[in-house]
Amino acid sequence: MMEEGPLSDLRVLELPGAVGAYCGKLLADLGADVIKVEPPGGDPSRRIPPFFHDDPHPDKSLYFFAFNTSKRSITLDLDSADGRALLRRLAARADVLIETFPPGHLDSLGLGYEALRQQNPGLIYCSITGFGLWGPHAHYRASDLIAVAMSGMMYLAGFPEDPPNRPYGDQSHYCASVQACAGILTALIGRQRSGRGQRVEVSMQEALAMNQETAMQFWDLRQELRRRQGDVGRRVLPDGSWFRVPGIGTYECADGYVFLMVGVPGFGAPLSVLVQWMDQEGMAEDLTSPQWQQAFAQVDLRLITQLLVSADLSQAQELIPRFRYVDGIIQRFVRSKRKQELYEEGQRRGLLVAPVNTPQDVLENRQLRERGFFQEVEHPELGSVIAYPGPPYRLHGTPARIWRRPPRLGEHNRQVYLGELGLTEEELAALAGAGII
Amino acid sequence: MTSDELPLKGIRVADFTWFGAGPIFTMALAHYGAEVVRVESQVRPDGLRLTQPMPKDRPPGINLSGYYNNFNAGKLSFALNLGSEKGRELALRLIAKSDIVAENFTPGTFEKWGLTYERILQVRPDVIMVREPMQGLTGPHRDFAGFGAVITPLAGISYLSGLPQRPPVGLGTNYTDYVVNPGHALVATLAALHYRNRTGKGQLIEVAQFESSVNVVAVALLECAANGRLPQRLGNRLPYACPHGVYRCLGEDRWVAIAVFNDEQWQGFCRAVGEEWTREERFATLLGRKAHEEELDRLIESWTGQQEAEEVMERLQAAGVPAGVVQSAADTLDRDPHLKARGYYHFLEHPEAGRTAYDGPGFRLSDTPGGPRGPAPLLGQHTQYVCKQVLGLSDDDIADLVAEGVLQ
Repeated sequence: MMEEGPLSDLRVLELPGAVGAYCGKLLADLGADVIKVEPPGGDPSRRIPPFFHDDPHPDKSLYFFAFNTSKRSITLDLDSADGRALLRRLAARADVLIETFPPGHLDSLGLGYEALRQQNPGLIYCSITGFGLWGPHAHYRASDLIAVAMSGMMYLAGFPEDPPNRPYGDQSHYCASVQACAGILTALIGRQRSGRGQRVEVSMQEALAMNQETAMQFWDLRQELRRRQGDVGRRVLPDGSWFRVPGIGTYECADGYVFLMVGVPGFGAPLSVLVQWMDQEGMAEDLTSPQWQQAFAQVDLRLITQLLVSADLSQAQELIPRFRYVDGIIQRFVRSKRKQELYEEGQRRGLLVAPVNTPQDVLENRQLRERGFFQEVEHPELGSVIAYPGPPYRLHGTPARIWRRPPRLGEHNRQVYLGELGLTEEELAALAGAGII
Repeated sequence: MTSDELPLKGIRVADFTWFGAGPIFTMALAHYGAEVVRVESQVRPDGLRLTQPMPKDRPPGINLSGYYNNFNAGKLSFALNLGSEKGRELALRLIAKSDIVAENFTPGTFEKWGLTYERILQVRPDVIMVREPMQGLTGPHRDFAGFGAVITPLAGISYLSGLPQRPPVGLGTNYTDYVVNPGHALVATLAALHYRNRTGKGQLIEVAQFESSVNVVAVALLECAANGRLPQRLGNRLPYACPHGVYRCLGEDRWVAIAVFNDEQWQGFCRAVGEEWTREERFATLLGRKAHEEELDRLIESWTGQQEAEEVMERLQAAGVPAGVVQSAADTLDRDPHLKARGYYHFLEHPEAGRTAYDGPGFRLSDTPGGPRGPAPLLGQHTQYVCKQVLGLSDDDIADLVAEGVLQ
């Protein structure tokens, strides 16, 4: 029996744009038939670098590849009368439509939710925009930078001496898409009972807001404003100097960096275990002395929490020279070792340590490899096989996987227009000649 | 709209998750009508219940944490000591009455309690079981110590983010705990529910937090795999847009983000700024602006530095330019007029913590609007209800269990 994904009964139309592409990918990798409707010149995200072997061609954007596995592609000019008529025909047979145009744009083309639900009351119509469909900022232009800035999450990233940092990789697209996908599936479950579809609305700003972690609650409950600190455990004093709680944060090592969280009660092995390891390698210096062992034993969770997050550092002042001393010894030890060794051996000893992995490290990660996480996808048109990350979850009954490679532009025009909509060869040629497909 | 019409009405979740990624996912089910029963214990409470922030000027308490409360709105709390055999039996009985069971303990914990998938299938053949281990239920690193903070460096997110001249310290939070990982778990669970609706079959779902998180750096992984190259940190810049970054404004630590992607937006920008330097020939093209990006950024900041961030945002947006304040939590909660108008934050009355803010759902449905249906529960607040209404226990049964220390 052919294995199938849990959504293999669903038909999805994904309209152009980068923001909602991950939503379509999630549905497609779960088995839905997702048709990406692209302008004849190609979806805008086909222009985004990096490109396969640096060739800026619409069928070679690695950015496009990452967000568009398992989909089919047709071209269609939605600004033309024929284009709109064809979209209406496609929407009449679809379960889901995903669009990321500015609010009102599709309404003005006669392709809004109210228009399409007339012929398909079961349609789930999902709109993702920067700020939602209504409200004082609904018309604001958004991009990933603007969305992460307005959501509050950017304020927390980076060193206090620097401007706030944007997270790598269009995280607003991921977060908005994940929320949209959840909304679509929730609406589908509702449709089972009611027989009706509905509109799913995602504001990128709202989709990201939970990424503020505890900042909202600190302000709401205590009127304390959480600010960016750079590294975990790094505290900047009023005079501008800084210190760190030893064993907590990002440390340089022989071939890069590692992240340590050692000495926080309840989180892995205590500092004494790290000292023991250092001692076995002759690098503990005087940290094995009774004086230091006693000092380590006195550290409790309340002190650590205060040192890590409290605005009041008055109690920390006298501890700072000792912190710097211990931290220096830890730094020397970590610098002498490579990141994967610190990871594997540190974890073997129960220490909470993680390498700051490069993408290459991630590709080579033993855990991911042995679990078969990466999926080799053939790109015959490139003469290549590329390793893609697998889906973010494993459904043991109805698997999620990459079912087909990302589509070339308009790759499925004949399949869809001739095979499914019943257009003739002449009609297809007419549309092509007129630039409609 | 009454909750009768919510899409997940009638679905019950036996929620054994704790900390962040688990509870946020099950809370999203509660937002849209599911009855989510958190199984908790005084003996070993959810770590977040003990963590700041709590209301100030009061002693700490197990029901006062905003960290816990914001992730558990609208849920029921069932106090159950899983260290006792009777406790584990009751857990199984609860699961038998549930559509979904979710957990994110270290691998082996649920097995140790006899709550294997096979055992659960015996009492609930169509169960959807969702397990969220850190690294997976199998593999050489399965038992590694884990915590949200290590995922960002492990998944490659830290290496790729921030300024190139700074060490790679990540995003300042346990980023994937809050939307990415719970969102993926939610999608998988809803997909499984959809499948069960048409076939009657449940299944086991595994969301390894490491694997879930790696998905958000896919572009970098493909560049490495296909081109054999490691991308470098770019700070706030983007290779194909300029200007693109954040600029200091009036006040302490106030910034505005500006992103110009095409000629039309550049012309709008120039009109809004109106200064001589915007008309310089070297800035007229993308390549020209890129070649002089540092100086352009300085000039822009000389303009923004004299204005409030909100003012800059409004002027640029009016000219069709993507721009936004780098908002703090005080901004999003108190000042953002758009989030206020949309009622994104819900203010709910909690019996001990008082009236506090809760995040709304990450998506909205037009006909069946969901949202937090109540504040977070006190620990064990619904033990009586669960015992009587869900498990069908008598008052005598309950009294015995209390005496034996099972319901705590």
